[in-house]
Amino acid sequence: MINLIVIAISTVMFALVLVWWRWSAFRASIEAPKYFMLRQEHRFDDGPRAPSSTYTP
Amino acid sequence: MTTLFEQSVHPAGQQSLPSAGQLPSVEYGLIRAHVLASLVTLVLSVLFGILVATKFTFPEFLGDHGWLTWGRLRYNHTQGIFFGWLGNAFLAFSYYAVPRLANRPVLNRKLGWFLFCIWNFAVVLPGWVLVAAGFSQPLEWAEFPLLVDAFVVLAFILMVFEFVLPFLKARLSDLYVSAWYIIGGIVFTMLAYPVGNFVPELVPGARGAAFSGLWIHDAVGLFVTPFALAIAYYVIPATTRRAIFSHFLSMVGFWLLFFIYPLNGTHHYVYSAIPMAAQKGAIVASAYLGMDVILVVTNLLLSLRGSSATVAKDVPLRFVWFGVVSYLLVSLQGSVQALMPVNRFIHFTDWVIGHSHFAMIGFASFVALGGIAHLWQRIPRTRYNERAMNWSFWLLASGLTLMIADLTIAGLVEAQVWQSSAPWIDSVRAVRSYWLVRTFSGLPILAGFVLFWISLITGATVSGKSTSVLSRGASENVPELDVDTSIASGHSFARFSYVHALIFGAGVGFFALSFLVLAILPGKELANEIKQAAPVTMPALTASEQRGRVIYGREGCAYCHTQQIRSLAADVRRFGAPTEAWETKYDYPQLWGTRRIGPDLSREFNVHPHDWQLTHLYSPRLVVRDSIMPPYPWLFSGSANQPTQEGLDLLAYLQFLGRARQLSGFDQQTPASAFDSATADMAMASEPSARATPPIVPIAMTGGYNDSAPVFHPASDSNDLEEEVSRGATVFAANCASCHGVSGRGDGRASVSLLPPPANLTAARFSDQRLSSVLWNGVAGSSMPPWRQLPTEDLRALVAYIDSLQVPTAAPTAQEATHLNQGKSLFTGNCASCHGDRGTGDGPAAGALAPSPTNFQLKRPTEARAREVLENGVPGTAMPPWKSQLSADQRQALVEFVRSLYGTPQENASR
Repeated sequence: MINLIVIAISTVMFALVLVWWRWSAFRASIEAPKYFMLRQEHRFDDGPRAPSSTYTP
Repeated sequence: MTTLFEQSVHPAGQQSLPSAGQLPSVEYGLIRAHVLASLVTLVLSVLFGILVATKFTFPEFLGDHGWLTWGRLRYNHTQGIFFGWLGNAFLAFSYYAVPRLANRPVLNRKLGWFLFCIWNFAVVLPGWVLVAAGFSQPLEWAEFPLLVDAFVVLAFILMVFEFVLPFLKARLSDLYVSAWYIIGGIVFTMLAYPVGNFVPELVPGARGAAFSGLWIHDAVGLFVTPFALAIAYYVIPATTRRAIFSHFLSMVGFWLLFFIYPLNGTHHYVYSAIPMAAQKGAIVASAYLGMDVILVVTNLLLSLRGSSATVAKDVPLRFVWFGVVSYLLVSLQGSVQALMPVNRFIHFTDWVIGHSHFAMIGFASFVALGGIAHLWQRIPRTRYNERAMNWSFWLLASGLTLMIADLTIAGLVEAQVWQSSAPWIDSVRAVRSYWLVRTFSGLPILAGFVLFWISLITGATVSGKSTSVLSRGASENVPELDVDTSIASGHSFARFSYVHALIFGAGVGFFALSFLVLAILPGKELANEIKQAAPVTMPALTASEQRGRVIYGREGCAYCHTQQIRSLAADVRRFGAPTEAWETKYDYPQLWGTRRIGPDLSREFNVHPHDWQLTHLYSPRLVVRDSIMPPYPWLFSGSANQPTQEGLDLLAYLQFLGRARQLSGFDQQTPASAFDSATADMAMASEPSARATPPIVPIAMTGGYNDSAPVFHPASDSNDLEEEVSRGATVFAANCASCHGVSGRGDGRASVSLLPPPANLTAARFSDQRLSSVLWNGVAGSSMPPWRQLPTEDLRALVAYIDSLQVPTAAPTAQEATHLNQGKSLFTGNCASCHGDRGTGDGPAAGALAPSPTNFQLKRPTEARAREVLENGVPGTAMPPWKSQLSADQRQALVEFVRSLYGTPQENASR
C-alpha cells in the first residue's frame, strides 16, 4: 500500500514537472502569485493608506 | 478614550469590502493582542520548561505540590508553546497577512475577538489550570483535557471562517504560497486534531497508539510547519522586495508536505507492536519528506541569493533565515532518525528531545519571531528596538546551539549505556551533568525571549535609528517592479483555480488515506492479532487500578517510563519479551510513551514489593539514591507508611502492569503461527537477537529467585583485597546505603518504611555463597533486588566490603557447647519445620515463605542479633517472637546452636 502511495505521489510530482517544463502558459500562471504578493506589499507599505487601514490608538 | 487594542472602524461603522485601489482593513488591534498573548505565554511556557529541566538536577525542587510536579509542568510547557506561543503568533501573522494576500479583510472583527478569547481564555489558560489541577490527557501534544480539546476544535472552525473564507470569496487565481499554507494549516489541523485527541480515548492500546502517532507528527507537520513556512515565504520577499525564486517549486513543496507529512506519524513507534507495514510506510514517508524539505529550503535560500547583506542587517529576516536553515537541518535529522538502524539506537533518548527543541525553537520559534518582528515594523505606531532585538537573536541562537549539542550528546551517552548490561540508573548518572548544562542553556533562551518582548515594547519610544528600519529598507532595497501593479481579477487564469481546488481535494484525500493506511488498516490487523493471541482470561482493570491509571497519566509518568518493550535485543535483555498488542487492550488511552528517563514498566507486576513501591513513590531517593524521579508526597498522609487512597490506587495500577502476561503463562505458550510470522518480520538481518528468548529475569528487574548464582570470592592477596574493599565501599554507597545505611547497619533512610527491614550487615557473618546469591537473585519477599547487572568486579568488591563490615566473632566455646544438645533439641521441635533439620532453611514450610527462612550454614548472626530475633521475631517475615514461649536459657541454647551451624557440613564435622 505504502509503495502505491509513494509511486502515486512521485508520478503526480513528475507529471507536474513535465507540465511545467513543456507548457509555458502553466509556467507563467504558476509563477504569477509571487508577483501579486509583491504588488500587495507595495500597495500596503509604500502606497497611500486607505482610511480603512488606519489605526487609532 | 481608545485603548491599545481598539481598532478603528469605517465611517459607516462597519467593515466594508474594498473597491479597486482601496486597501482592505487590517485588524491591527487583534494583531497586537495576539502578539502580546504569544509573548506572555511564551515566557511562561519557557519558565515551565526551565523548571522541568531544573528538576532533572534537583528533583525535590518545588516537589511538595502536585501542581508544580514535573509531569504537570512538562504538559504545560509543551502545550503552552504549542497553543499559547505559536498559536497566538500564527494568529497574529494571519491577521496581518490574510488581508494582503486575499486583498480582502478577514471575515469579521468581532469574530476575531471571540476567537482570541476562545484561544486564550477557553484553551490556553483553562488548559494550564486544569493540567496543574490534575485534569489532563496523557498523550503527546494532546495533554490538555478533552473539555479544552472541544474548544480547540471550535477555534479551528472559527479560523476557517475568519481566514479561509476571505480567500474563497476573493476567488484569486493568484493565490500565493503563504496563503496556501495558511489555508492548509487551518483546514488540515481542524481535521487532524479530533483524530489525535478524541480517537485514542475510544480506541485502546496499540490501535490507539497508531492514531496518537499520527497526531504527534501532524501537530508539527500540519500546524506548526505550514504556518512557519507561510511566514518564511512571506517575510523573505517582503523584506528583500524581490519575488521568491520559484513559486512552482514552492507549490510542489506545499503539496508534498501535505501529502507526505501525515504518513510520517508511525515512525514514533518503530519496532513496536504496530504492524510492520505501517512502520515501514512511515519510514519511507520520512525519507521522502526529507527530500521535500530540501526542495523547500533550496527554494527559500535561492530567494535570498544576493541578499546576504540584507540578512545580516535586517534582524527579522535574520530570524527567518536562521529558522529556514534550522528547518533543513532538523528535518534531515528527523528523516535519518526514523531509519531503523538509527532509530533503534537513539529512540527514547535525549537525542529526540534535542531534535524537538531544534524543531520548535530553531525552526518554528525563530521564524515566528521573525514574522512578528517583521509585521511589528509595519503596523502603525509600533517599532521594535533594534539593539534589543539583535541581542535577543544572539542569545537565542547561542542558547539553542548549546542546548541541542548538549541533548544530542546526552542522547548518545544514554543510548550507549542502554545497549550495555549496566544498571538503568547508570544511564541517569551518566547524563546528569548534561542535564545541568541543558538547564543553563535554557537561561539565555529565556533571556532572548524576554529581550525580544522588551524590544517590541521599547521600540515605539525609541526615536531615530532604531525606528527607521522600515523606511530604510524601503528606500534602499526596493527595486522597481516590472510587473503589472493592478489587482488580479482572476479570470485570465480561472482554469487554474479549478486545478488548485482539484489538488486541494487530492490533499484531503491523501490526508484521509494516511489514517486509512497508518491507523485504520493496522488497527484492524491488530484487532485480529489481539483476538488470536490474547489469553482467554484476561481480567480488566479493577476500579482501584483504573483510578491508579488516571493518576499515572495525570502525573506524567508516561513521559519518563514507556510501556512498550521494542523488538530489540537491548530492550528484550533489559525488560523482557517484546510488548504484544493484546497487553494494552484495556488502555484507554494508550500509555506507551515516547521517552525513557526511567525504565520501562510494562512488566512491573511482582517486580517490587508494595512497601518498596510506596517508599519509592513517596520519596524515590530513599530507595534509589541517584534517582531523579519526582516525589509524590500528596499521595501520602505524611509518611511512606500512610498512603492515601490515591497512593494505593497508583500502587494497584503499577502491580497490574504485566500481570496478565505473567499469570496467563503466555511466555510458556507456543506462539500462534500467524503471530509468529509477524514477529519474525520485526527482526532485521542486523538484529539477529530481536526474537531472542528473554532471560528469566530481565537484568533491570527483580524476581526469579533461585540458587543458581555464581560465587564471588574476594581476593586472597591482602593488597588486592584492600583495593576490592575500597571499590566495594564506593559501590555500596551508590547502590546500597539508602536502605542498608552508610555503615551497613540496616538503618538507611528507607528502612523505616520497608518490611522486612533491610538487613543489618554488621550483625551476622555471611558466607561468600550467601552474599553472592543475594546479590545475584535478590531476596524474594523483601525489597532487596538482584544486582546481577553490576559488573562482576563490582559484585566481588561488594562481597569483600560486606565481609569487612562484620565484627569477628569466635566460634562457640567448650562451655557454650554444652548447650548445643539442648539447643538442637529445641531447634528440632520448634524451628525445623521452617529452617529444616540441619538449619539450611529448607524445612517443609519453607517453600511457601517469602523471604525464605535463614540458612544458618551460610549466615551466622552475632549472638546479640540472634537473641534479639528470638525475642522479637523479624517484622515482615514468618519469623515470630519466641519470648513468651521459650525461657531465656532455652533461647540462649538456641542462639548457641544456630551459631554453631555456620559453615559447610565438612567444616562442621571437623569442628
